[in-house]
Amino acid sequence: MDWLIEFPSMGRRDLSQLKQSIDESFRTFSRAFGDDLEAFFTPLLKFLIFFEKLLTGAPWPLVIAVIAALTWLGARSWKITAGTIIAFLLIGYLDMWENTMATLAIISVATFVCIAVGIPIGIFMARSDVAQRIVTPILDVMQTIPSFVYLIPVVMLLGIGKVPGLIAVCIYAIPPIVRLTNLGIRLVDRDVMEAAESFGASGREKLFGVQIPLALPNIFAGVNQTIMMALSMVVIASMIGVKGLGTPVLQAIANQYLALGIMNGLAIVALAIIFDRVSQTYGKRLQAYRETGHD
Amino acid sequence: MTMTKLFAVSALSLAASAGAAFAADCGDVTIAEMNWASASLMANVDAIILEEGYGCNVELITGDTTPTFTSMNEKGQPDVAPELWINAVATPLAAAKEAGSLVALNDGPITGLGEGWWVTKKFKEDHPDLDTVEKLLDHPELFPYIEDESKGAFMGCPAGWGCQSINANQFRAFDMEAKGWVLVDPGSAAGLDGSIAKAVERDEPWFGYYWSPTAIIGKYELQMLPFETEYAGDDNWNNCISLPEQDCLDPQATSWIESAVESVVTDEFVAKAGPASDYFKARVFPGEVMNGMLVYMNENQASGEDAAYEFLATQDDVWMQWVPADVAEKVKSAL
Repeated sequence: MDWLIEFPSMGRRDLSQLKQSIDESFRTFSRAFGDDLEAFFTPLLKFLIFFEKLLTGAPWPLVIAVIAALTWLGARSWKITAGTIIAFLLIGYLDMWENTMATLAIISVATFVCIAVGIPIGIFMARSDVAQRIVTPILDVMQTIPSFVYLIPVVMLLGIGKVPGLIAVCIYAIPPIVRLTNLGIRLVDRDVMEAAESFGASGREKLFGVQIPLALPNIFAGVNQTIMMALSMVVIASMIGVKGLGTPVLQAIANQYLALGIMNGLAIVALAIIFDRVSQTYGKRLQAYRETGHD
Repeated sequence: MTMTKLFAVSALSLAASAGAAFAADCGDVTIAEMNWASASLMANVDAIILEEGYGCNVELITGDTTPTFTSMNEKGQPDVAPELWINAVATPLAAAKEAGSLVALNDGPITGLGEGWWVTKKFKEDHPDLDTVEKLLDHPELFPYIEDESKGAFMGCPAGWGCQSINANQFRAFDMEAKGWVLVDPGSAAGLDGSIAKAVERDEPWFGYYWSPTAIIGKYELQMLPFETEYAGDDNWNNCISLPEQDCLDPQATSWIESAVESVVTDEFVAKAGPASDYFKARVFPGEVMNGMLVYMNENQASGEDAAYEFLATQDDVWMQWVPADVAEKVKSAL
């Protein structure tokens, strides 16, 4: 009855040969296309470097003023704006300014990339059931696969640093925006669509005039989730050489520097709360306008 | 003749039964399995031999140089650090040895090892004149940093490792920033290895910190560069270079300290597992055997445990010398 207990697995040698041939084919791929891929991402890298230099190089009062202005525009709340200013002053006072700016830079760009790529995919998914059936499992994989598994091939292809870090962040952070865009558009009332059709709206008019505006609250929830998940990847991204708040956290973990870990961890939390509150209140304002429309 | 033979036999069986008695007392042992390949292999070999040969009840605890040492020093747990790179924890370890709470049973569990600054084989062949660290440091333009092409990239040691401060301080001591270098933090072992793998696969230059014996060194044939600068003394090394940057205000340029690896155990372990101490004293992996096992692990993507069984199965002429014949028999029959 041994065969019932012992699973008839592939032999050890065959298995290791299989693994080796996968590795080898990836290596061949990397040798053949690595340089081209790197060249493809060079503009993105240049932009990331430029944006980080802009944030770290600008006078700090100006940076805080701009951030406070953006917060006010997004949230229209004195409380959130004041909290943001206090948080950034504290971050600077505790000597985490440069790392925070580096993190802010990569997270902002990552969020922007995720939105720019994610919303069109979400729209495409909403318009085609086949696309939804294909994309959904891919999103599941992206959200659940341990990040180090895809960090290995990314590092082999692009080395360590900002671009691989950005890709790692986006792989994890892009699913919510895609899912919620898809969901938001699919949830748009059938009657509303019928009404739009009866007025003779074209496909483009239906999408941009009816579906997307009505789906905005959902899309904004997706943006919010994407930002949160991007921030949760800061430490992982640091493990492949992205400068920022993650590096001191890694240092703190390895050396049991309690205070260093807590301070930098809280700085990440502060960024997260600011992003979250601003994008949520902005989303709510959109919704509020919609609700009054219904009354 | 017969008398002596008889005597010898009874003495042997006495010794064996004494061994068995000790074995029953060996009890629970925790061994630190450090998160790099050679230490993982060694921890697993130790675990199998202590468990099967000496009847200990072994638990492996994942660790890393500084946290594991701190835990051993403060809490007496884990009992054994098979491969402790002591340079990173020199000062507190010396204090603990003085106090008797930690004991080094073996001051060379692997032969032929070392840390330092390495370049790729191809780079060394292309630039035979740049054969020391000092000569290379004048040419940062040969290692363009991807985020700022005007600077040279020097790949340091991942954040939080003992070697991070050492490399950062050496970076300052050799005045590398003024010479046009950037100290790049690879972030993790995966990042560091990945950067080497990528550079070698694409024939790109790579200059940075690494150590031997490792599968990476064996597989990618990195070449260590010697320093022209002499070793500037233990005081500079222990009280400045190996401390965090803010505690080392005036680092002196120096060659690398001679690498020291020890098998360190707690005093409690010596007390409870007497005969097993002798095993640790005898357990020396020849460098080439270790390198061979590391390449095996790498090529077969084998875990430390897989490799330990492979090692015990194929290299019995090495490990059978570490233990008495009866223990060796027990281990062999358990494989």
